Amino acid sequence: MENKITREQLLREFAPQLEKTSRSAYIWIFFLLGVIGLGVYAFVTQVTEGHIVTGMRDNVVWGIYIVNFIFFMGISYAGALISGTLHLFHTEWRKPIIRMAEYLAIISLLIGPCYILLCIGRLDRLGYLILFGRIQSPITWDVIAISTDIFGCLIFLYLSLLRDIANLRDFKELQVPNWKKKLYSILSLGYTGTPEEEIRLKRATDIMAAMVIAIAIIVYSVLAWIFSVTLQPGWHSTIFGPYFVIAAVYSGTGVLIIIMWLFRRAYHLEKYITKKHFVAMGILMLVLAALFGYFTFSDYLTKWYGSEKNDESLIKILFTNYYWQFIFSNYIGVLIPLLVVGLPKLRTINNITISAVIVVVALWFNRYLIVVPTLESPYLPIQDSRPEWVFYNATWVEYSLTAAGVAMFCFLFTIASKFIPVIHVSELADPPEKEQQLL
Amino acid sequence: MKDRSVYLKVLWILSIFLFSVVVVLGESKPEATTPPETRMTISYLYASNDTVTLTAGIMVKRETGPTYLANAVIDFFATGGSDTKKIGSIKSGATGTAILKYPVKNGIPRDKDGITTYSASFIGKGPFPASEEKISAKLAKINLKFNSQDSVHNIDVSAMEIEVNGKENPVAKQTVVLYVQRLFSLLKIGEVALDDAGKGSLEFPHHLIGDSTGVVLVYARIEDNDLYATVQGQNSINWGIPKHYFTAERPSRELWTPIAPVWMIITLLVMLTGVWGHYMYSVFQLFMIKYNNKGKNP
Repeated sequence: MENKITREQLLREFAPQLEKTSRSAYIWIFFLLGVIGLGVYAFVTQVTEGHIVTGMRDNVVWGIYIVNFIFFMGISYAGALISGTLHLFHTEWRKPIIRMAEYLAIISLLIGPCYILLCIGRLDRLGYLILFGRIQSPITWDVIAISTDIFGCLIFLYLSLLRDIANLRDFKELQVPNWKKKLYSILSLGYTGTPEEEIRLKRATDIMAAMVIAIAIIVYSVLAWIFSVTLQPGWHSTIFGPYFVIAAVYSGTGVLIIIMWLFRRAYHLEKYITKKHFVAMGILMLVLAALFGYFTFSDYLTKWYGSEKNDESLIKILFTNYYWQFIFSNYIGVLIPLLVVGLPKLRTINNITISAVIVVVALWFNRYLIVVPTLESPYLPIQDSRPEWVFYNATWVEYSLTAAGVAMFCFLFTIASKFIPVIHVSELADPPEKEQQLL
Repeated sequence: MKDRSVYLKVLWILSIFLFSVVVVLGESKPEATTPPETRMTISYLYASNDTVTLTAGIMVKRETGPTYLANAVIDFFATGGSDTKKIGSIKSGATGTAILKYPVKNGIPRDKDGITTYSASFIGKGPFPASEEKISAKLAKINLKFNSQDSVHNIDVSAMEIEVNGKENPVAKQTVVLYVQRLFSLLKIGEVALDDAGKGSLEFPHHLIGDSTGVVLVYARIEDNDLYATVQGQNSINWGIPKHYFTAERPSRELWTPIAPVWMIITLLVMLTGVWGHYMYSVFQLFMIKYNNKGKNP
């Protein structure tokens, strides 16, 4: 294959990631497994005792599980959008981070729907969704959309991994167990990089890059429509579709920056993931912060100005019971990235990462404020409800399963990085796109 | 030094996050400071099946507003003169209502005027204080008969009060309200003023719909009377318009029924065909890569 020397140098540099697992990595993995184990215990408790162990009741029927579902699906779509867009635009600076975006897309897409299963009281009736599903239902649309998205992201990920898998198969110096070598051999499909194969692969990858962008937008819009087609004040909004898409890409950008920072630190990738990458992602985050702030302002302004009774009740709850969460998610979560990335003096790797952490937490709270306070201010008045049934408080079961989901996310990322380097070796070794055209 | 400042910043961020979590968990809820107050209501109905129906309702008045008191034991008593008889104990339901149906043949105390005082009593439990309410009523009954003259249908109503010695006297100069039974409630069809003989008549409306054979259930009531409280008589007649029950089209969710949303199905099929078609094409490219390599390296 062409540029073999450069590729081999890269493989030699990244091989230790696959060959060795340090003590701190083992501690990290066991810590994650411990948190996942706690989540399993919480799940068993929920299954045996029922949903009474959660904070969900007759009024607030959706809680943290749905918040986590929306959050994880959001960052998944961001990963798909970013990886697809960067691939199609053939931007040079994308090469070190595009694999992380692809992993982000598929890993969070596998975890997000699990929270729906946790929210369902009767899992044995799940098959009825397929057998007796109504095409008019947004839930049915979401099932179809998410299934389609999972397949699409898996195909796209595999297409982008293929060349690196073939490189690992051919790299004689790689000291990994035989089963891993066999796995590389099977998954590589005998790819050798001939011109015909490259054309086929490029064609398929370009198509899938465009598809995942379109699918990501459609799927997250469908998720938004599950809320907005109801008459519930706080949800019944015509801008929910684009609002959710913007919020999703915003939160996903934040997660991707955090992932970049963590892998850069863990695997000493300072040479490949530079300040330029953080600034580029930071600028994307800045633009999305502005858009997110605009959509949020527009949504709440129209609710407040209309002075409709149910909207007033919701806004009152937001500014009394959830005041600090509202300020954090809609003010701090918008202004901090704008300041940090907007001011050149503050534009450092660590500052951008810290603002990304703030963004991620703020967007989680944003989803919480969309789901829970809305249900606490019902559209149809509910009579004779005890106060402890009206207001939602998550329990240890829900917090444990939330932590387990995050731990599983980190665990799958860690395991994935042990199979394939987190940096796209083939793309890094390829000459820049413009040079390819001249040749 | 640089690392330390980073860790301090991370610690600061985590502190903000934990503070928010504490705020979420520590939401304070308003709590009532003054003790609750219970209130009882009672209503009385004597029906033509010689049963006294007492309906008691118990509510708790709090600072946050009134709510029904469920699972409260309500004792019902009947007092006539110096005799008092406990006629039942019923636990209130979710709406704070306790209903007692007591057959008169079991005997109820009455004073010399034939009046019985019924009381519903809650003795109190825990933070909820005791409360009681009374209502007095004299036994009376209403009879309903139907007659037709020259294709005009009439409902004849007669009301009699029952004395202590069992003698019946006409209930004069009272208003009797007539209803027919509908699906969820009663429909008022008219009022009759009783004459001195305790009789009255009302023309039956022509447009009433009955059941499938045209049977209509008619109620006659003296309502909220100072002496008789509420008295009810009932009878049925097949003067209504027979109702034809149409079998509703079975709710059909299949995609091949006439009520399926065709535009939605077509749109979805077009979109899914486009998307999965592209997926299949990409997977086909992978198969071709594998197939070509198999050909070269059998």
